[in-house]
Amino acid sequence: MSSQDSHDPRLEQAAATDDSIITAHDKAAEGRPDVDGNYRLIPLVLLFVFSGFIFFGGTYLHRYTGYFSPEIFDERQHAGGPVTEAPQIDPVVLGQKQYNLACITCHMPNGQGLPGVYPPLAQAEWVTGSEERLIAILLHGLKGPITVKGNVYGVAAMPAFGRVAGGGYNWSDERIAAVLTYIRQEWGNTAGPIETASVTAIRERGDRKEWTETELLALP
Amino acid sequence: MKNGPLFFFGLFFALTLSWAGLALGTHAQLGDLQPHYDDIEGKAFPQRASGVASRGQLVYQDLGCVSCHTQQVRRPSYGADEARGWGSRQSVTRDYVHQKRPLLGNSRLGPDLANFGQRAEGAGATKTDLLVDLYNGSQGMPAYRFLFEEREIVGQTSENALQGVAAEGYELVPTERAETLAAYLLSLKQTYEYPEARPYAPDEKQEGAH
Amino acid sequence: MTQTTSSTASTGVSEIDTSSRCALSFLIVASLLWLVTGGLLALLNLVQTHTPGFLADCFLFTHGRLDAMQETALVYGWAGNAGIAVALWLLSRLGGSALRGTNYLVGGTLFWNIGVMLGVCGIAFGDMTSFSLMQMPDYVQPLMLVAYALMAAPGVLAWTGRRKDSTFATQWYAVAALFLFPWFFSAAQVMLLFVPVRGTLQSVISTWYAQNLFSLWMAPLAIAALYYLVPKIRGKVMPNYDFAIYGFWSLIVFGTWMGGRHLIGGPVPAWIPSVALGAGVLVLFHHMIVYLNMSGIGGAGGVVMKFAKYGFYAYLLSGVIDALFSLRSFAVITQFTLFQEAQWQLAFASFSLIIFGALYYLVPRISGAAWPSSGLVRGHYLATIIGCAVLIISLGVAGWQQGTALNDSTISFEAIAAQYRPWLLVASAAQALLLVGNLAFLVNFVRILFVRTSEVSASQFRQPTNLEASSS
Repeated sequence: MSSQDSHDPRLEQAAATDDSIITAHDKAAEGRPDVDGNYRLIPLVLLFVFSGFIFFGGTYLHRYTGYFSPEIFDERQHAGGPVTEAPQIDPVVLGQKQYNLACITCHMPNGQGLPGVYPPLAQAEWVTGSEERLIAILLHGLKGPITVKGNVYGVAAMPAFGRVAGGGYNWSDERIAAVLTYIRQEWGNTAGPIETASVTAIRERGDRKEWTETELLALP
Repeated sequence: MKNGPLFFFGLFFALTLSWAGLALGTHAQLGDLQPHYDDIEGKAFPQRASGVASRGQLVYQDLGCVSCHTQQVRRPSYGADEARGWGSRQSVTRDYVHQKRPLLGNSRLGPDLANFGQRAEGAGATKTDLLVDLYNGSQGMPAYRFLFEEREIVGQTSENALQGVAAEGYELVPTERAETLAAYLLSLKQTYEYPEARPYAPDEKQEGAH
Repeated sequence: MTQTTSSTASTGVSEIDTSSRCALSFLIVASLLWLVTGGLLALLNLVQTHTPGFLADCFLFTHGRLDAMQETALVYGWAGNAGIAVALWLLSRLGGSALRGTNYLVGGTLFWNIGVMLGVCGIAFGDMTSFSLMQMPDYVQPLMLVAYALMAAPGVLAWTGRRKDSTFATQWYAVAALFLFPWFFSAAQVMLLFVPVRGTLQSVISTWYAQNLFSLWMAPLAIAALYYLVPKIRGKVMPNYDFAIYGFWSLIVFGTWMGGRHLIGGPVPAWIPSVALGAGVLVLFHHMIVYLNMSGIGGAGGVVMKFAKYGFYAYLLSGVIDALFSLRSFAVITQFTLFQEAQWQLAFASFSLIIFGALYYLVPRISGAAWPSSGLVRGHYLATIIGCAVLIISLGVAGWQQGTALNDSTISFEAIAAQYRPWLLVASAAQALLLVGNLAFLVNFVRILFVRTSEVSASQFRQPTNLEASSS
C-alpha cells in the first residue's frame, strides 16, 4: 500500500488505519526472541554507542568541571588550586594605612609620641622586643605607668584594638599583625614581622581588661 | 509503564532534576555571593552604580541593545577579548551581584561593553562625545535620533545642547533617556581583580599527567 | 456523542476530525497569520543587520526591539499555535475520540493570541525583558500561562481518556510536550521576572528555559508528528520500534541540560557549559534511535513526506551541530556570531518543516476537502526548502567568517561588517522567499476554509487498510 502512482500535492492518502498503527507497533515493541542463532546486531551496537557516550561524557565532566566548584570560571583549571585562595595583602602597606588612620594621632607620624604623654615607637624596646607583650598591648590595651626608653608615660591609657570584650575598634587579627609588622620595620626599627596566627593564639587565651606594666613584664 | 501516573511522574522528575541541578544548584553555590571587601582600599567591590546609571540600564534594556552587544569578557587566551582591549580578565559572577538584570547578551555584532566606561576614561572620551556618537551613528550602529530633541531656544541655550546640527534658533538637546544611557555606559567597569578572577596559567607538567 | 469505533478506525475522514474543525482551524489560521507577520518582522530585522539605517528613526522598530518582536511572533505565534494544533489532532486521532472541551480550547486560543499581540506591541514600546526567547513583557506572561492551560487541557484529556490501553510513540512525545511546558515556563517566569534570582544566575535560568523550549516543547511535537506520518503514509511498521522508548527518554532526560552551551566562557562557573556539552553528546542517542525508526522516510513521496523528510534531516543535523559546536575549541570561533543565529534557524526550520508536513496532511481531514491549489502547495514547498537552505548556509558562512575575524584583533568592526554584508544580502533574499512561500500557504488555507463540505465527497479519501504486525 505504500507505493502510489502519483502524489497529488492537494491530498496525501493514508495507507494504514490509526488503530492498526497502535496495535502493530505495540506488538513490535515487544521485540522478537532470538531464535535459531539469528540475533539482531542493533541492540549491541546501541549499547556500545551509548556506553561510549557515557564514557566520553564522564571523562569530560571529570576533567572540565573543576568538581563543580563555583569558583572555577576557567575550565582548564583543576579544583583546589592556589588561585582560589585570597590574594596576599602586603602587611606593611596595610599596616601603614591602619597606622595613619588610628595610631598617628597619639604616636605621631614619626613614631616619636608626645613626651610625657604618649610613648614613642621608634627604637622602643617594647616594639622591637617580645612579640607576645606587643600583641597583648594592642589586643587588650594598656593602663597605668610604663617606662619606655628610660622615660615614664602614665597619663593616657592605650585602648584595646582587638576583637575583645569592651574593645571599640574590633580590628581583625590580620590587621593587628599588619600594623605591628609595620611599626617593627619603620623609623629605624629592624625587628621581624608578626604573624596573624600569633595574634589569634594570644587572643584566644581569653578576654581581659587592660594590662599593667608589671603584668606585661611577666609575659615571655 | 507509560500507561498511568508513573509516566507523568517520570516526565516531571526529569524536568525537576535539571531544574534542581542548574537552578537550585547554582543558587546554593552562588545565591548569596557577597561583594569582596578590599582591606587596603577600604571599599567593597563591585561598587554600586549611581542612580542615574541605574536608570540608564533600564534604557539599555528597553532599546534592546543586548541584541548586538555583549557585556561579558572571556578569558585572555580564549578569543581576542583581551587583545581588543575589552578587558584584561574574565568576567566572573561577582561582577554582576548588584545588577538587577545583568544584560550579558549573546551576539557581538558590535563590541563588548563590559569595560566600556574604563575604555572611555582611558581614551579621554566625555559624555558629550558619547552622545554625539549616539546621534550620528556609525557604519555598524544605527543613529539613535529619537533619543534627541530639537527644540526652539527659549532664553539661554542649554548646556547640554550638541553643536553643529540644529537650525538657527533651535538647539539639539539629548533627552533624559540619552543622558542616563550615557551615564550608564560610562559606569561600566570590571577592573577589580577578585581572587577567583585571576588568570589561570596551566602548568605544562600537570596537563601532561592527564 | 462520538461515533462508534469501527467508523473511526477505517475511514479517512471521521467524526473525530470534523468535530474539531472549528477549534483547530482557529489555531491554524492564527498560526499562519503569525507566521507571515513574524516572517515580515524577521525580514526587516535581517535587513537592519546589513543596513543599520533602515527604520532607525522609528523608535518602535529599533533593531533591538525588532529582534525581540520577530522572535516572539514566530515562536509563540507560529510555533505555539501550530504545535498545539498538530498535537491535539494527533492525540485525538490516536486516542480514538473527539476532542473534549473545545470551548476551552477556543477560549484559550483567543487569549493566547491576544497575549502574543500584546507581547509584540509591548516590546515595540520598550517593555521587553531582554531574556532570549522570553521577551514578552512581565504583564503578558501570566496570561500566556493561563491561556496555555486552557489549550493544552483537551490534549491531556485525550490521553487519559484514550480507548486503547497501549500507547504509541506519538502520544508519548505529544503529551510530554504539552505537560512539561507550563512547568518550565512558570519556573522561568518566577525565577526571572517575579522573584528574580541574583546576578548571572538569571542567565543560567534563561538559557535553561530557551533550551527547554526547543528540546522539551518544539522537538517532541515535531517528532510526534513524524512518528505518526511515516507509518501512516508508508503503510509499514517502523523498524527497531522497541528502542523508541529509549529515544524518548534520552531526549527528555538529557535535552534539558544543554542550555549551558550558550554560556561558554561566560561569568558562570565552568561546570555549567561543561555539563551542557556532556548532555549534548548524550542526547545524540535520541537522534540515533529516531533515525533508526524513520528509515521509511526516504524515497519518493508527496509534499507531506518531502517536508517531513527535509525537516527530519535538518533535525538530525541540528543535533549534531549543537553538540559539536559546544566544544570549546569550536565555540571560540562561533560564539556570539551569526553562526549561532544559523544554528537557531536550523533548529527552528526542522520544527517548521515537519509541522508544515503535518498541516498539509491534517487540514484536508478536518476540512473534508483537498487543498484548493496544487500550484500554491508546490510554490510553498519550493520556496521553503530553497529559502531555508540558503538562509541557514549564508548565515552559517557569514558567522564563521565573522568569528574568525573577531578573533583577530587587528580587524575592525567596520571591516567585519563589510565582510559579512554580501552574505546577509543573500540571507535577506532567502528570508523574503520564505515570506512569499508562507503567504502562499496562508492563501491556500484561507481558501480551504471556505470550501463548503456539501460540495465535497468523502470518496476523495482512499480507505486505509490495516497495518500488519510484520517482523521488522
